[in-house]
Order: sequence, then structure tokens, then C-alpha cells
Amino acid sequence: MNNKRVVITGVGVIAANAIGKDAFAKAIFEGVSGIKPISLFDTAEFKAKTAGEVADFKPQDFLGDKGLRTLDRSTKLAASATKLAIDDSSLRINEENSRELGVSLGATFGSIASISNFDREALTDGPRYVNPGLFPNTVINSPASQVSIKFNIKGFNATISSAFCAGLDAIGYAADQIRLGRAKAVYSGGVEELCVQLFLGFYKAGCLAGLSGPEISVPFDKRRNGMILGEGACVLVLEDLDAALMRKADIYAEVLGFGRSFGPGNLGRAISLALKESGLNAADIDFVSSCANSTKDLDLEETRALKEVFGSGASKIQVSAVKSMLGECYSASGSLQVAAAIAGITRQEVFPTINYKEKDAECDLNYVVNKAKSCKINKALINVSGKSGYNSSLIISKYQ
Amino acid sequence: MNRRVVVTGIGVLSSIGIGKDDFWKALTDGKSGISEVESFSTAEFPTHRAGEIKNFQPEQFISKEKVSKIGRASQLAVSAAHLAIKDAKINIDKDNTGVSMGTTMGETQVLEKLNEAWVRRGLDAVEAADILKLPTDLLSASIAKEFDLKGCVFIIPNACAAGNFAIGYAYDLIRMGRAKAMLAGGADAFSKIAFTGFNRLLAVAPDKCQPFDKSRKGMLVGEGAGVIVLEELEDALKRGAQIYAEILGYGLSCDAHHMTAPSGEGISEAIAKALKASDVAPEEVGYLNAHGTGTPANDKEECIAIKKVFGERAKKLPVSSIKSMLGHTMGAASAIETIACCLSVKHDTIPPTINFETPDPDCDIDCVPNVSRKVKVDIVLNSASAFGGNNACLVLKKFTRR
Repeated sequence: MNNKRVVITGVGVIAANAIGKDAFAKAIFEGVSGIKPISLFDTAEFKAKTAGEVADFKPQDFLGDKGLRTLDRSTKLAASATKLAIDDSSLRINEENSRELGVSLGATFGSIASISNFDREALTDGPRYVNPGLFPNTVINSPASQVSIKFNIKGFNATISSAFCAGLDAIGYAADQIRLGRAKAVYSGGVEELCVQLFLGFYKAGCLAGLSGPEISVPFDKRRNGMILGEGACVLVLEDLDAALMRKADIYAEVLGFGRSFGPGNLGRAISLALKESGLNAADIDFVSSCANSTKDLDLEETRALKEVFGSGASKIQVSAVKSMLGECYSASGSLQVAAAIAGITRQEVFPTINYKEKDAECDLNYVVNKAKSCKINKALINVSGKSGYNSSLIISKYQ
Repeated sequence: MNRRVVVTGIGVLSSIGIGKDDFWKALTDGKSGISEVESFSTAEFPTHRAGEIKNFQPEQFISKEKVSKIGRASQLAVSAAHLAIKDAKINIDKDNTGVSMGTTMGETQVLEKLNEAWVRRGLDAVEAADILKLPTDLLSASIAKEFDLKGCVFIIPNACAAGNFAIGYAYDLIRMGRAKAMLAGGADAFSKIAFTGFNRLLAVAPDKCQPFDKSRKGMLVGEGAGVIVLEELEDALKRGAQIYAEILGYGLSCDAHHMTAPSGEGISEAIAKALKASDVAPEEVGYLNAHGTGTPANDKEECIAIKKVFGERAKKLPVSSIKSMLGHTMGAASAIETIACCLSVKHDTIPPTINFETPDPDCDIDCVPNVSRKVKVDIVLNSASAFGGNNACLVLKKFTRR
């Protein structure tokens, strides 16, 4: 690997419990839940009724009134989060630098509603009567592409689909492209929209909370019985350190290393690879922004992976799961966990895993529950993993 | 960062042939894979032809039980991976090999089935077993599971240039030391949704695809899968592998202008970046495999880009579009085209642009009309463009020790 360093200089968040970087930080440290009864579609036919919905989302606040009509919800979420990140970073995009800037966005089901609605219109009205203006929304990379069009970002534009890992993998992609010299800065993160198609899929697959227990998001808690779906978008500005220093940018954190490994039970390997690339030992990690989503398997698996890598030190690291407040935001999750970790580094504080009540004997790490906790956070580990077999880990640090 | 990356295995499923030998023979013979659509009734559509693979039997490659659990796009992808691994004669380092695939919409046939049940019979009729086949990421995950791979696995769904994006990042990962080998490419199954959409955009030709022809009437929707084995050169040499080509580099660009309209400027930018990254001068290029969809706008803009990069030489540089034979295989297109480039440098032969009848002053390039050409080919470019104004260009070279 060459010696280019990559830092984070902007954060844009649209989440179920808050919109904007500062509001998001405030909400997660206060333990504000974004989970509420679903208003986006009728849940009469389902046993589960709640989700981490971004209920008060007004895209025109971020994107203006024009040109919104044909954009789908994923695109509006992603573009709004990007606008927030651009403003936060104070990196101005112009004709001179736009070719040095890129976009990489995690999206797996981001267009499922658009694809499905387009097809259903053809089935109901006949293929000669579908609105051709909505066809471009049916490609999975349309939210990312619209971001480039909206903000004139010309260097490159990539979408990464790897299920639960997509948002974090997109950040890994962005860091690689900066290290390879293909961009000075990359707007990178993930997006997921809540829609009946996604909900139906997780519902029918039996993954949701409330089907065999209380409908709550309680990572690591003995009562956990499935995930609560969430939605949102988080876009970070990843930037070449030299470029960031040159323009005297505020630097929130540095990206140290990334690791990926496919297959069940391989999260530990992803963590080890990230540590190796960062040149760190397990003992250097202060905090884990966990992917635990209140499912029986995943929360236990991450606990096991941390024990496997950290050994006896595992009980010393602070661990917390932001999905207790946001639900499982799928392709957006990894990037939201990074934003939460950045807030932790900035405030030297760990946000709580809320709703925690009953201890599970097998999930016995040092989880920060129900109340935020002050502590030194220099190096943070962000994990993502899920049923599909993907595992990724990112390590960020306070910039020094 | 200075590791060299080579292509050592090829797997392809297409409407003109399954497996590299049949594919290459058909390609150099100028065979068309376009026929009447059979997978659904086209009675309500204005056009009726496409590039379906009519003789695909996934059970030839994958166990019956696994076939029943994945959609057609994943079946095509896993089958192509089987062919590529067999061709590479590689004993895979499972811990350090990953999968990078491209697609446009993923498992659209699965989604079409779910929608049909939902619209005709209600939400209750939607089957959980079908939902489990829907996630787009299954294209890569199914390959990883089939071969028990533990490396970097993901999809880059960058629409019609997805294959090049996926191969490009796989190349990066090997160069950066994140992987020893990668299975990379693209897959898309024939999709009624795509057929509907392109027909509504009035972009579909009624009969045949005629890239660069004055009377070209549009593209044709196709399907297919292409997977290549990428390896670090040292490993390939150590095991005495056959080497089709070396990947010298690639270039990406985004028009940031329009979701569907192509831009000559954006395309030329990706080509120029690819040449620069590969340290190749325009005059060293022996062949350019074009995106060449056969729509009036694409071919015109692509020729503008070629002229911008190659100047006077643009008229002499062989440029062909294999979409004239396969139609547009969507997320598989640039992967299959990369395979055509590998075979082109291996056999010193350039595949033709078939159906060429009338020259177009807007496209006054050498499109290798109708007949393949035997000529020494050393360095080739594979240019691709996609919805969203996304352009990606790969540079490949006949392998030589240097």
C-alpha cells in the first residue's frame, strides 16, 4: 500500500432519530429512538408494525423544489445526505476540481421499490403505458448517479452492493480510490429506503422482531427476537490528507485500515485484516461501533468474533450498537455506524445501546447500555456482518 | 502497488455460444444471437426480438438442488465462474480469492415473478422461497459459496458498464495486496422490465442491431454472463498458467449531466484516463472494443470521443461492437467484451461489427464491418458507458515479460 493518508472531513446524516450531523450526535448520546409506527405504507396485513422511518423528511429543504418529481425516495435520501456532507466539509465543488472528486454509495435494495413499481405499472396498465421517465430509476446505481448529476461530481461514480455491508464497503472502496490517486475526495456512504417491498421481504423471510416476541430493537439483550427495519442515508467526505491540510479543513478522523472476509463466522478474520492494515494490535482499539441488530445470531456472532480477536482483552473494550435506536438500515447501516463512531471520537464519549434490560449469558462483553459513557476514544472499530455471508471491518482514529 | 495483474481464465455464456471456444468461433464468424423472444409473450410490445440464451441448462454446471435456490442471473454467474476456473486450471487459494461482479438490476426475473403474484393474487401469494432469491448481492455470494471463497466479495451494479467497474476494482484489490486472485465479471438475465423500459424509451431496434450504420435503429436487449480469473502475475508464472492478457489499467468518469443521454466528452475522458493510468500512448492501441449499442445517440457520441482521443488516427483504428451479434447483455456486456478483448490479443484477430450496410458520416471510423480481421493485436481498449453517465475503459495487453 502506498503512503497516502485518508481522512474524513465531512458528515451528512439523514436518520430516523435526527437529521444533520450535530442533531444526530445529540440524539444518539441522549438515547433517542427513531423507531415508530410505519406511515409510508399500510401495515394492516403484517404482524410487525414499526420501523426506523425518517418520518419528517422533506427533501426540498436540502435539494430545492425543482427536479424532484421523478426521483425515488432512495435518491432523495442519498442526495440530501450528500448535500449535508458537502456543506459540512466546506469543500466547494467547481469545474476545476470536479474531475478529482468521486462518489461511492452502498445500495443493495435501494431501487427495489422503483423497479417493482415500474413492473407493476406494466402489469396493470400494459407495457405500452408505463412512464418512460421512471425507467432510469430501475438501475441500482441510479441514486449514486443522481448525486453526481445534482452536484456535478465527475471523477467517478460507483455503487457497491453487498447487503448489510454495502455502506461500509463503499467507504472502503472510496479510501482505496483515494490511495490509488484516482480522486482527491470521495462522497461515500450508504442509503436504504423503507418500502413495502423491502419490509415484505424481511417479513416473509422471518427476520423481523415482533413475530415471535416483543417488537423491539434490543441488541445483545436476551429478549431479542429479530430486527426492526430502518432507513436513512449517511454520506461522508473522505479526503486525501494532503488535500485536506492544504485547504485547512476540519478533520474529524483518519481512516486507518479495512478488512473484508466472506463466509459465516469470518467476521473475526475481517477484523484481523483491518488491524493488520492499520498496523495496530487488538489492544489499541478503544471502542467498537457494533452491527448488532437484535437478531439471535448476529449479536452473538459479533460477540464471538470480538472474543476471538481480542482474547481476554475483549471485556475491556467499549461496545455499543446504534441499531438499537435506528433499526437495521441495511445498505446504510455501516455508514451510519461510522458517523456514530466519529461522534464518539469527537465527544470522547460512547453512545448507549438503548432498551437493554435482560442479560444474555452468551453476550457478555462490556456493552455501554442505556446511558452514554465518557471515555477515551482514540481508535474505533466499525464492524458489519449479516446473514448473507459478508463481513467487513473498518478502523478509524482520532486525527493526529 | 506495482504488482502486475493478468487474466488466466475465461468463462462466458452468451446467445452465440457457451464456453470460450464456441463463443470465439461464433464471434469471429459474425454469427447473430438475436431471435424471437420466447420467455414471455411480446404481443403487447412494439418489438419482438432479443438476445436470449436458448440452450442454457444450469444443471450442466451446478447441482440441481442449488439451481432451485438461485435465480437465473446467479445461475448464469455461477456457471460462468465454473467455466473460468476450469479454464484457468487453478487450484484456488480460497482464503485470498474474492468475487467482484457487475449487474444492472440483479435478479429481475425473480422480481417479475413476485410482482406477478402480488398484482394478480395479492401480497399473501408472494412466496418466501422466491423472496430469498431476490437480493442482488446473491450474484457474487452464490459464486463465493459455490467455491467456498473467503476473500473480498461484492457487486458493483454500475448498470451497463458494471462489468468494467467490477473488473477494474478487482484489479485494484490484487494490486493493493487485498487479494491474490479474483473472479470478476458481470451477469444479467433477460429481463422483461428492461425490455419494457427500452421499448418505452423507443431505443429498441425492430429487427437487428447495426452499430455505426447510418440506418441504425437502436439496441436489442440480451442476456449473458462473463467471468474472468484475475491473478497476480508472479503467481500465474509460478504455476505455469496460460496468460490471455495483462490488465494495464483503467479509467472512470462520470458525465454528471443526464441519466440516459451519453456524452462524447465523458467517454473520451474515461479513455484518456485509462491510457494515462496504463502509460500507453494513443498510437500504441491496436483495437478498441466499443460500447456500440446501436442507438443513434450512443454511437455518434462514442465516435466523437474516439476522434477526440485519437485525432487523425481515429479513422484507421479498428473499432468494433460485438453488441451487433449479442445485443446488449446489460451488466454482463463489458465483462463479455473484456473476454472478447482477451481472445482478440490471444488470437491476433478482431471480431467484426455485423449488420453493417450504410456508412454514417457521423461514424466515419473503421468499424471492422461484417468480417473479422486477422491482424497483430497487442494493446486493446474496452470502452463502456452506462445509465447515470458512467463511463469505464479498460486497457489490456498481450502478455510479455518485461
